[in-house]
Amino acid sequence: MSLSVFRCGVRPFRFLLMHISLITMAVTVAPATEYHNNKSLGKNLKFLAKQRSDLVRVDSIARSIDKRKVWMAEVGKGTEQDRKTRPAMLVVAGIEGNDLIGCSVAVSWIKHLIEQYETDTRITTLLEMTTIYVIPRLNPDAAEYFFSRPKFETSSSDKPVDNDHDGLIDEDGPEDLNGDGLITWMRIEDQEGEYILDPTDNRLLIKADPLKSEVGAWRYLTEGIDNDHDELWNEDGPGGVNFNRNFPYNFEFFAPDAGVHQVSEAETRALADFIVEQPNIGIVLTYGAADNLLKTPKGAPSPGRRKPMTAINKDDLGYYRTMGALYRKSLGLSKELEGTSYPGTFSDWMYFHRGRLSLAAKPWDPAIAVELSKTDEKKKKMTQDEIKEDIEKIEAASENEQAEDKKEKSSECELEKGNKDIDTDSKDDVDKRNEKERREIKWFDKYAPQAFVKWQTIEHPDFPNQRVEVGGYCPFALTNAPIGMIEQIAAKHADFLTALALRLPRIGIRNVENRHLGQSVYEVKIQVENTGFLPTSLTHGQTTREVYPTRLIIELDDEFFLSGTRITNLPVIRGSGGMVQARYIIRASRREKIHFKVVSMLAGQVKGTIEPSDAK
Amino acid sequence: MKRKTKFRTCIGILLFSYLVLALSGTGHAKDVSRKPRAGNPAKHSFPALGISAERKVQVAWNRFYDHVGLGAILARLHKAFPDLTKLYSIGKSSQGRDIWCLEITARNIGDPDRKPGMYIDGNIHGNEVQTGETVAYTAWYLCHQYGRLEKVTALLNDRVFYLLPTINPDGRDSWLHRGGFARSGLEPTDNDRDGLADEDDCEDLNGDGFITMMRKKDPQGRFKLHPDYPEYLMVRARADETGEYSRLGWEGIDNDGDGRINEDSRGGYDMNRNWAYDWQPNYIQYGAKDYPFSQPETRAVAEFLLAHTNIAAAQSYHNSGGMILRSPGREGGEMKSQDDRVLRLIAERGEKTLPFYRSMIIWKDLYTALGSELDWLYGGRGILSFTNELWTSKNLYKTPSSPSDEEQAEFIEYVLMGDGIIPWQEYDHPTYGRIEIGGRKKEWGRVPPSFLLEEELHRNMAFTLYHADMMPLLKISQVKIEKLTKDLFKIWVTIENQRLIPTRTAQDVAHHISSPDIVSIQGDDLQVLSSGQVTNRFFKRVQAVKRRPERVELDTINGMGAVRVQFVVEGKGKFTVTVDSAKGGSLKKSQLLP
Repeated sequence: MSLSVFRCGVRPFRFLLMHISLITMAVTVAPATEYHNNKSLGKNLKFLAKQRSDLVRVDSIARSIDKRKVWMAEVGKGTEQDRKTRPAMLVVAGIEGNDLIGCSVAVSWIKHLIEQYETDTRITTLLEMTTIYVIPRLNPDAAEYFFSRPKFETSSSDKPVDNDHDGLIDEDGPEDLNGDGLITWMRIEDQEGEYILDPTDNRLLIKADPLKSEVGAWRYLTEGIDNDHDELWNEDGPGGVNFNRNFPYNFEFFAPDAGVHQVSEAETRALADFIVEQPNIGIVLTYGAADNLLKTPKGAPSPGRRKPMTAINKDDLGYYRTMGALYRKSLGLSKELEGTSYPGTFSDWMYFHRGRLSLAAKPWDPAIAVELSKTDEKKKKMTQDEIKEDIEKIEAASENEQAEDKKEKSSECELEKGNKDIDTDSKDDVDKRNEKERREIKWFDKYAPQAFVKWQTIEHPDFPNQRVEVGGYCPFALTNAPIGMIEQIAAKHADFLTALALRLPRIGIRNVENRHLGQSVYEVKIQVENTGFLPTSLTHGQTTREVYPTRLIIELDDEFFLSGTRITNLPVIRGSGGMVQARYIIRASRREKIHFKVVSMLAGQVKGTIEPSDAK
Repeated sequence: MKRKTKFRTCIGILLFSYLVLALSGTGHAKDVSRKPRAGNPAKHSFPALGISAERKVQVAWNRFYDHVGLGAILARLHKAFPDLTKLYSIGKSSQGRDIWCLEITARNIGDPDRKPGMYIDGNIHGNEVQTGETVAYTAWYLCHQYGRLEKVTALLNDRVFYLLPTINPDGRDSWLHRGGFARSGLEPTDNDRDGLADEDDCEDLNGDGFITMMRKKDPQGRFKLHPDYPEYLMVRARADETGEYSRLGWEGIDNDGDGRINEDSRGGYDMNRNWAYDWQPNYIQYGAKDYPFSQPETRAVAEFLLAHTNIAAAQSYHNSGGMILRSPGREGGEMKSQDDRVLRLIAERGEKTLPFYRSMIIWKDLYTALGSELDWLYGGRGILSFTNELWTSKNLYKTPSSPSDEEQAEFIEYVLMGDGIIPWQEYDHPTYGRIEIGGRKKEWGRVPPSFLLEEELHRNMAFTLYHADMMPLLKISQVKIEKLTKDLFKIWVTIENQRLIPTRTAQDVAHHISSPDIVSIQGDDLQVLSSGQVTNRFFKRVQAVKRRPERVELDTINGMGAVRVQFVVEGKGKFTVTVDSAKGGSLKKSQLLP
């Protein structure tokens, strides 16, 4: 009621306000200096589409559980038919609902592309010969909690799920006990607890290790009360399904956040259908928790036809390694970091079932931040020449990784040795258990101290007469960069994404030769090349049969072929100048132009002509 | 002795009357004007065992019906039996046909949505048509027998049936109206990977109304006519012998000019490989399509099953082979031994009800099938389910082994009077030149002939009704109150499951698929101090619940078993015990504290 009164009073000004905001938007669109809720995201995308309607189109591919639109932006010059048949790349972000930085990075890349169009020739060519699809936020409902009060981090959707299998749905969610507008953590001094305080930094907790005679003294839970009195805290909160666990490859049935079956959600289904309808997508990049760029994934030989793959086909692994090195270089990382995939991720589905080069990474996380700050500090101490040398070293290192990979077995042995070393270390009282967390909290102390809420004692109804503290990392702090850093991070990612899109496969016609054999008989040789970087199909693209063979179609009736056929399926053409040749014997009359076209699923289409002549 | 004379007298009377009748017949033979009245023979008919005389809805069960026909049967049943039925569409097929469901239960008794549910579908493979009639027959039978047969009445009072005659209406109509390849659904699919979908289907080249086979007289051919049954059979020439014919596959041409014939027919996938459990992509499991439940038909069924948590058993009819199939579809696939035992016991009844049918495990006794409906029903949802493969050629001569090709040809010749075969006709084919078109009709092989069809429908239904009868049937058989002190009571509630299937299968319990069974107690002047499941009724061992004593969660109530729950309460007056079981139904019993 009060709201409507308020709105009435404000109405005369709204028109004016809109104008002001439009004017400001015209100056700076989609500022990468903050995170956006779904409405604002849609507004920004639509503005870009309006600004460059020749380059950007925006559409909604689905409605979320809470009726929010799932946006898709398509970037590229040309007719719809052109854009559908060109080599294409897809960027997906916000598939894990707590990822907002991925969304910002993706949107600011679009902005970068249209700004640089007709300025940077690389980008001009790219947008004229490539289609770029961006789905910046597949899970808008979870992202919205970033802007809600209390602020609450979840990677899952708002789909009601009985997480604790007690026949009641969403009956025990978290509560903001200390009223700071944030759902953080709570620790309870309790003999039943499994944790102890980290002796070097008592803000952190470590799991007590009975082998070290450590006795647990703290419970460590998310902030809230036991609403359903089952002695479990916040075990059945609102939601949900993590969309990045809901895809068919390696789907984990009955896992708490996987969904009732593969592709069970409206949002994931829309993405799957989108993929099926856009067969020209050759590269996919997914921002989220899953990774194969910070760390090169494992490879294995094909287990044989009709058997599921459990690792990247070793023949495709080189492309993953190269792209990983490119990613790390773009971010400024000098070494591989930890990274892994999860069951049912979208990126794994796109490789293992759909046969596309499918990359995945966290756009930012504290480990990356810690690593980068180390490099930064090192650089400050270095002279310009030394920096150059250092970059060369990084490049050399990434090239060497290939060689290292071959020695994988031996390095694994070393790793085991390494573990033993840790054990011996611990005997020497150097406790490495919380090392990563300690380094990260130091980074936050220095660059974003507001990310950690100081532990604060409260009264808790479930733990009367016990010491209960609320605090710890803020929601979203460990998954999304501090606001002030977004722009800088986005710029690095834009470089990477552009470099990636430039590596799509691309077919061309190198040469058409014909030789007169006598009368009306000609020998024709057509050389088809791949001027791109990736092959026209990965090895696994052939195994899955989801990447169709490249076809050479000659517009000539069957009866004129003395050898060869109207439609020829070409073998895979590798990138960086790979070539295949098709040879025909045909009957034709001189000066009659014969048209042909080459149709590739991932590498585009080209047309050519055969001009029979008497020249030998 | 006395009985013998009586028998003789009877015979005598019969013989005499026959003679009289015969004589009177010949006596009037020349009177051609006298004929019986052409009245309605149905009014003078007497039911054979199996179905009541009163038939509110007349259906001939010796033929096949297309999607509209099956819909009409359901609609008439719904109109004739409004107190028993509810008719609705659960979704639409690729081509926009409704997937009809007729829900049958005694709607005025209990809550239809809370009764243990039996789900029955048919025809997921478009060409397996008699499955549709089997489901429609079940609907027709249940409606007509309610109130007449005690067994059927009890079934509809206590259970609810969800009957979906065809979940692939596009494929069904495609097979009935056209023939050729029709196992698939009809979403255009690019089978030959050339960027075009469904562009090279088979066709009726000679316009005789049938899509049959092509063959060519060919000196290099490796086949020849069967010496004894040349119209019916071709046999392979001996390795050292010249042949007469080449076989050229289904009737059709190279529509897309790619040098292949009928390589991208309409549809081209297998909806029974599109289910979520143990799903693998097309390159591993042919027909799987792009992702689980990608098809509107399978999706609609999955959503229907997910929404109806009361469904405790399911049957998905297929043809053919005479099998009662159960999961798993692959070696090492999901099947808990307790659940397998129950399925095996039910299937044993089926082997008796269905002559020549065998109880089988899919992967072991048939073949590996990934992503089948059955595996999702059991593995994904914990529902005990069967697939009957309807019809076996053993039924042609009622012999325990399958008749030979020659015996089958004889059946066509002497029993079907030649129906079942299209004589070979010459035709000029654009690629092959002069060929012959003809051979078996699509109705020969996987579906029974008219006079065996009704038997097939009834026997399969009878087995599935037994399956339905084995769904959990709960009863609060005892509420025993023991006074401990003034106002303090120990109440023991005994809940029996009077049928074979547990309320929650082992698979269900292991993965928390459905909600636990909950036994609770309420009363105005009642406070529950403690509660728990009785683990040993003789030694009175009780596993007390930690919190919320007014409700006790049970994993399952085993088939032909009972559980006991103890409540320790303080108070007086009336109290009510409620049993809330997703698949066993909802029960209440009220009593007074002494």
